[in-house]
Amino acid sequence: METVLQIDGVSKAYGKVKALQQVSLTIPKGSVFGILGPNGSGKTTMMSIVLDVLGADAGTYSWFNQPPTAAARKRIGSLLETPNFYHYLSAVDNLKITSAISGRGTDQDINEVLEIVKLTERKKSKFSTYSLGMKQRLAIAAALLGNPEVLLLDEPTNGLDPVGILEIRELIRRLANRGITIIIASHLLDEVEKICTHVAILKRGNLLTSGPVDEVLSNEDIVEIAATNMQALKDCVAQMQNVLSIKEDNQRMQIHFPSGTANLEEINQFCFNKGITLNLLLNKKQRLESKFFELTND
Amino acid sequence: MGALIKIEWLKIKKYPAFWWMLAIVMLTYPSINYMFYNIYNEFTQGKEMTNNIAKMLLGNPFAFPETFHTVAYFSSFFVLLPAILVIMLITNEYNYRTHKQNIIDGWSRKDFMASKLIDVAIISFVVMTVYMLVALGFGIYADPENMGRITEQLHYIPMFYLQTFAQLTVAFLLGYLVKKAFIALGIFLFYYLVVENILVAYLKYKKIPITRFLPIEVSDNILVAPAFSGNFGKDAKEGYELALTLVGEQVVLTCVYTLIIWLICFKVHGKRDLA
Repeated sequence: METVLQIDGVSKAYGKVKALQQVSLTIPKGSVFGILGPNGSGKTTMMSIVLDVLGADAGTYSWFNQPPTAAARKRIGSLLETPNFYHYLSAVDNLKITSAISGRGTDQDINEVLEIVKLTERKKSKFSTYSLGMKQRLAIAAALLGNPEVLLLDEPTNGLDPVGILEIRELIRRLANRGITIIIASHLLDEVEKICTHVAILKRGNLLTSGPVDEVLSNEDIVEIAATNMQALKDCVAQMQNVLSIKEDNQRMQIHFPSGTANLEEINQFCFNKGITLNLLLNKKQRLESKFFELTND
Repeated sequence: MGALIKIEWLKIKKYPAFWWMLAIVMLTYPSINYMFYNIYNEFTQGKEMTNNIAKMLLGNPFAFPETFHTVAYFSSFFVLLPAILVIMLITNEYNYRTHKQNIIDGWSRKDFMASKLIDVAIISFVVMTVYMLVALGFGIYADPENMGRITEQLHYIPMFYLQTFAQLTVAFLLGYLVKKAFIALGIFLFYYLVVENILVAYLKYKKIPITRFLPIEVSDNILVAPAFSGNFGKDAKEGYELALTLVGEQVVLTCVYTLIIWLICFKVHGKRDLA
């Protein structure tokens, strides 16, 4: 698979604070790649490094299989941390500067992206008069300008209201369907789970895991069962083979099996043979949220 | 290069402070020169003997070709006005965090610094244009009969440009390193108006001949006081003539200083984390 961004052993420290430690990551073309981590985990530092805003202390990275250059950045629409615009200029004038620097987008494109983020009515107002949400939407417009091959969005829904968040999520889905590679850093797990194909989880500058969402989440199969006689069920499950762990919760049991080994029919048959009739049998998908807490909790 | 100029002009042309600076410069340059022109007239227009002596000594500093020299000298007192703008233009980039955004959008670190060099060049050019128009205006107004000598001292135009560019470069360096507009402005004003003047006075008093190497003095000495200042006695004449002979050297020194400052800025910006 073609690679858009390759990061190899990148480290960065601010004095004694190690913001990134030996992080390596591959972002395939066409993926929607979520970078997760609690506040201060190094998400923005990593994005700043690959955009040449910060220098790495060690390690290398490459865009489009080439050593990084200013020309490569012109192919990436980016929103890093906060919306950064000239306060005394209007949305249109600010986007003219974005367009002139990046070489992406015409005057017609500027109008189009302003329409997408619903700023057409205020396009001639000075940036300084915008609300937080409008500033964020202008930053998204700047990233979208001229259809870049890659979008790199750091907390894209910051400052947006629920409707705005939904609209941006839909927009990202549409863009992903067009084959654009999208890299999103976020601490909103729900947001990432809903739109990402790949995910990486960072904690205190260390990469904990990365890969396709399904692979990251399903290193275990979880089956939820229940019966009228929970004690008998418990004794029965204790005799099952291949079980990694059992959790009991609220008149239900969660049985964890190694990935790909849980078979609902077999479980049902096993319990029935032991004289227990199940009243609940569910193949439960692990949620990103639980995986995230599992990985990031001390 | 053309693209960088276009982008910087986009940033400058809608910046209100630019037009304020231009308006104030357009008021100040003619005013300060008109003030000295009036003083000159008062000295020379009476019918008494002293007035005639004054006229003989002073010549007409506002007629062609002296006007280019005289107006350059008096106008250069006001480099503070464009200096404020230069400091604002660089500290704005920090304030708006556009110094990051420009890089994110596809400029190299070098492009960014070159764009700031272009800012200083554009502002110096605008200020020089105002000076040129004012000098021409006074030349025509003061003595239209001297029009034929208009081309004799045109070299003061590039010299005025160099002095302005060099002093604005110092202002830029402060803005670039300090990052905060008011602190950078404060340091520049304090150094330009107080520190260097005290240093010059002290070093001259102690007879230590290094004042012309100080950061602002080095380019100040490109534009020596107008020619008539050498007509007031032997000491003044010697001083004037010495200053004139040193102009070439000051031009070279100013170029070297300015080049060094820009090289430092390019070097630092190439490696600096853009926090």
